Amino acid sequence: MSTSDDIAVVGWAQTPMVRHTDKSEVQLLMSVITDAIEPLGLTRADIDFTCLGSCDYITGQAFSFVGNLDAIGAWPPKRDSHVEMDGAWALYEAWLRLQEGDIDIAVVTGSGRSSTGNPALIYPMEMDPYFLAPIGADPVTFAALQARAVIASGIADERSMAETAVRARGKGTVDELLADDYVRQPLRRHDLPPITDGAAAMVLARGDRARELVDRPAYITGFDHRTECHNPSFRALDDSPSTRIAAEAAGLGSAPVEVAELQAAFTHEELLLRSVLGFGDDVTVNASGGALKENPIMATGLVRIGHAADHIFGGGNRALAHSTSGPCLQQNLVCIMEGRS
Amino acid sequence: MSHVVRFVESTITFPYTRSLGPVTGAFMTALTEKRILGIRCGDGVLVPPMEWDPATGAELAHDFVDVGPAGTVASWTWVPEPTEQHPLDRPFAFAFITLDGASTPLLYAVDAGSPQVMANGMRVAPRWKGERVGHITDIAAFVPGEEPEVEGDDLGPAAEPVTMMDYLASITYKNPVPPAFDFVVGASADHRLIGFECPVCGRVYAGGRGVCPIDSLEFTEEHAVDLPHTGTITNHVVITPVAYPGQTETDPFARVFVLLDGVDVVLGYQPVFNLPVEDVAVGVRVKAVWTPPGEEIDEGGTMGGAFGALIGWEPSGEPAVDDLDLTNRIF
Repeated sequence: MSTSDDIAVVGWAQTPMVRHTDKSEVQLLMSVITDAIEPLGLTRADIDFTCLGSCDYITGQAFSFVGNLDAIGAWPPKRDSHVEMDGAWALYEAWLRLQEGDIDIAVVTGSGRSSTGNPALIYPMEMDPYFLAPIGADPVTFAALQARAVIASGIADERSMAETAVRARGKGTVDELLADDYVRQPLRRHDLPPITDGAAAMVLARGDRARELVDRPAYITGFDHRTECHNPSFRALDDSPSTRIAAEAAGLGSAPVEVAELQAAFTHEELLLRSVLGFGDDVTVNASGGALKENPIMATGLVRIGHAADHIFGGGNRALAHSTSGPCLQQNLVCIMEGRS
Repeated sequence: MSHVVRFVESTITFPYTRSLGPVTGAFMTALTEKRILGIRCGDGVLVPPMEWDPATGAELAHDFVDVGPAGTVASWTWVPEPTEQHPLDRPFAFAFITLDGASTPLLYAVDAGSPQVMANGMRVAPRWKGERVGHITDIAAFVPGEEPEVEGDDLGPAAEPVTMMDYLASITYKNPVPPAFDFVVGASADHRLIGFECPVCGRVYAGGRGVCPIDSLEFTEEHAVDLPHTGTITNHVVITPVAYPGQTETDPFARVFVLLDGVDVVLGYQPVFNLPVEDVAVGVRVKAVWTPPGEEIDEGGTMGGAFGALIGWEPSGEPAVDDLDLTNRIF
């Protein structure tokens, strides 16, 4: 079935996901890259291309990704790139790069020390600088306004949101959670993601190299991402058309998926995304716990792809991974992977 | 280097000054006149005005429309604990407010006192600041009701069209100090320069770089080596200060790159003493300058400059080195 141009995820690793790490981003990346490549029998010398996903505003240091290159082993010089995005977008770039056909192995990473600063103060800085950043328009506020829209449209209610939280985190009862105060009505603490420090690294291989490295590569059969207007007030918040279009373009409609990993940092986002993607009970969504359990900013989306790839490595046939960026699911990326006998 | 990791707190301020362009500029100018502008887009009116149709990307004609000033709450959430970036320092609502005549809502703060006051469909009007400069926060908040208010004395509109805006962001970060850097800073208190020798490639790194980036391995104390206090300038930059917030320098000054004897990697951006700017040159031999004993040393975690008790370099008096290849050594 496969052709010499197929590109597959062949391995990945993540650091321990913790509330607060005393490791620098370089230290996190150094260990996680080693953990991703060593089980494959690869060394850094085998890597043809690297792309790192991270964010200077989170680090508080301009060009912080340049320092992160210390983890790559970039001598002799490597082909390298960086995205100021989640590592899922770094993976997208690496997937494109491998399609050139002249190289075989790429490593991508996502890394963020979310505990370095106060997310409620940092993320407004990434908003529209004229109307939104100056009023401290924080992501939890936008999430609350989106949750209201999703509830009004009947896709979710506060109980189904609490049920999502209980399933993701495996603790508490729905009634206990619903007795809590609002952080931003209609969101309570359990509807919000945790602050998590961590990093992930993933190995992509092309053609014969993928089959040499692992018995069952997770072949990427569809990959697409779309964005919407920057200002949530210009969008229909009870929908995610960019997710729907990306999923169609990635080939969701052509065959069913068995599992899906969705980057939903807020409970209502998972319910909205399930609805937009048309998933019924036959699709296992976020068995990992998702971003509600661990939310390492800039690695959360890449970790979704990793868990979906694990399903293929373990014998599954088809899995979908989703990553998002920006307020109220502004940008959405969908990656579909398949196994082959 | 097994020790409790130290964290350094630093506050970074971003004093942005932004040009506004013809559309946002018109909106901000109107705010000083206690007017809120939208822009026509097809059959609708976008607020705040956009330069392009968000659906198609087509440039919009500058067909502005006065909207509001009162409007209707379309959705809202309560902020029980405001941050310092929020427009109000007491609990308030963030609301999507559809101003009269607008087809898209504006996100803004509503000073409602309590969440029980808030409801979809409620009417709100702006409370203007008395002194308006052409900034979104010229609207102090929206308040329940139909009638706009002004805080204090109304100082009137801007004398000239508003073309620029200031935005001061300030964020405090806490970053871990890598163990290697702490080790090197600690040794500097005893006027020792410590480097690390990679057990794989044999390269010697000066300063607190705790990893060999070529072999991607983290150094430990066993890789530490004492370094000489003399070296050669491999490159330099002369900086003519421009005024910006926090700048204390007024005269041109040099930063030099120093390659210590027997070391593979330079120390970058080092201060120099007793060497006039016009005499800074590639090949000049220098020696370390230390904080006088007993004085407090800077234990900050920044890389790429002097560190700890090492405050810079001065001419050693030795003859200059004549080696063109030195200029290749900047990292």
